[in-house]
Amino acid sequence: MLRTKAKAMSEQGTAKGDGPDWAKLLSKVANEGDTAAFRTVYDYFAPRIKAYAINQGMHQQAEELVQEVMTSVWRNADKYRDSLASASTWIFTITRNQRIDLLRKKSRSKAEITVDTEELWQIPTEDTTIRSIQAGSTEKKMKESIGELPEEQMIAVRKVYYEGKTHQEVAEELNVPLGTLKGRLRLSMKKLRVMLEATDL
Amino acid sequence: MSAHHPDDFTLLDYSAGSLDVAQALAVSVHIAYCRHCQEQFKKLNALGGILLSEAQPASLGAESQADDERVAPREPQAGTDDGFEALMQRIQSSGEQQRADEAPRERGFHNPLNRYLPASLDELAWKQQTREIAKFDLNKIINVPGARVALQKIKAGAKVPTHTHRGNELTVVLKGSFSDELGVYHAGDYIARDPSHHHSPTAMQNEDCICLTVLDAPMRFTGPFMRWLNPLMAWKG
Repeated sequence: MLRTKAKAMSEQGTAKGDGPDWAKLLSKVANEGDTAAFRTVYDYFAPRIKAYAINQGMHQQAEELVQEVMTSVWRNADKYRDSLASASTWIFTITRNQRIDLLRKKSRSKAEITVDTEELWQIPTEDTTIRSIQAGSTEKKMKESIGELPEEQMIAVRKVYYEGKTHQEVAEELNVPLGTLKGRLRLSMKKLRVMLEATDL
Repeated sequence: MSAHHPDDFTLLDYSAGSLDVAQALAVSVHIAYCRHCQEQFKKLNALGGILLSEAQPASLGAESQADDERVAPREPQAGTDDGFEALMQRIQSSGEQQRADEAPRERGFHNPLNRYLPASLDELAWKQQTREIAKFDLNKIINVPGARVALQKIKAGAKVPTHTHRGNELTVVLKGSFSDELGVYHAGDYIARDPSHHHSPTAMQNEDCICLTVLDAPMRFTGPFMRWLNPLMAWKG
């Protein structure tokens, strides 16, 4: 195991920037069934997926979510396109969908025909637009601006987006009026350039 | 490209995965039509990717830790966790072939209803509600407690009696177009109405208008002569 691990690590030398080259590792998983490459992906993402599950209040099912997501990553690695999204974005979308799926399974009656989670939250598969070329730089800019968010805005974004809490819940937790919370969210979304237009509250 | 979109907070909640499935259906149908919201959705997903990768990792296989511990403080040591071996065993025993066996998915964003409707929009077993309004119930396809999901067909040129809602109503136009006091809506447009709205949608003259509607409470008619319609129009269940 140590040897295969070391092999995977050495391949990270070709990475762009400071992190491992996830696209390359995922393509090795897809094309060669490379377990060492998959182990590198697992070592980084599995603990983060588990943290996400715990933050979402899924203590009991946190390990199950990790297993489901990583199984899906293994099986769908060939569908990953680094021109569409970074690996962490792709894995986030899988994690979000598997979480919804686990929750739906608990409440679903067997007789019912149910629209698949994968249909309701479609993961972008291909993109024929020129815009996709910009995906990488959009994410890079977003990453930079996220580091510059004032703490109170960052907390609002984390709680609403990452912990899945309602605006009302977060406002109560932070002991601020609902309007204040929405203002913080709106400001942060503008800075991250994900909110483009003024819409009604 | 449609002109009426879900607001930014709705898209934020959608991307975060905190909308209920009935609302998510309305948003995902809209997204299938709307290049603008596809791009917004992708950007919001990227936010999720960043938050995921920057999160404090939790240690794996440590179920005994206190329940209220939100995140574990340290980066786990590689090799101390046998979860990976268990995962690989699980994947191998569940069959590698599943990769190939999966039904081919439609490429790109598409209307999620396509796979589930028993017939094309025009050939559905529509239930006439009035001479001019027909309904096709979707609650069997997508069942969310408290939500009523249906397709509504308004005959070309017909006007739906003025009504209001006890709850919120989401409408996505699938075919044709309609207008109300606030605007004109075409295929793909997403319209959210809260209980304070009174409106009387009118289908355009040239073609029947078919919409997806998601209601979180039954609608009620408010026009003076239309009260009797309530029992007919009320959603079953």
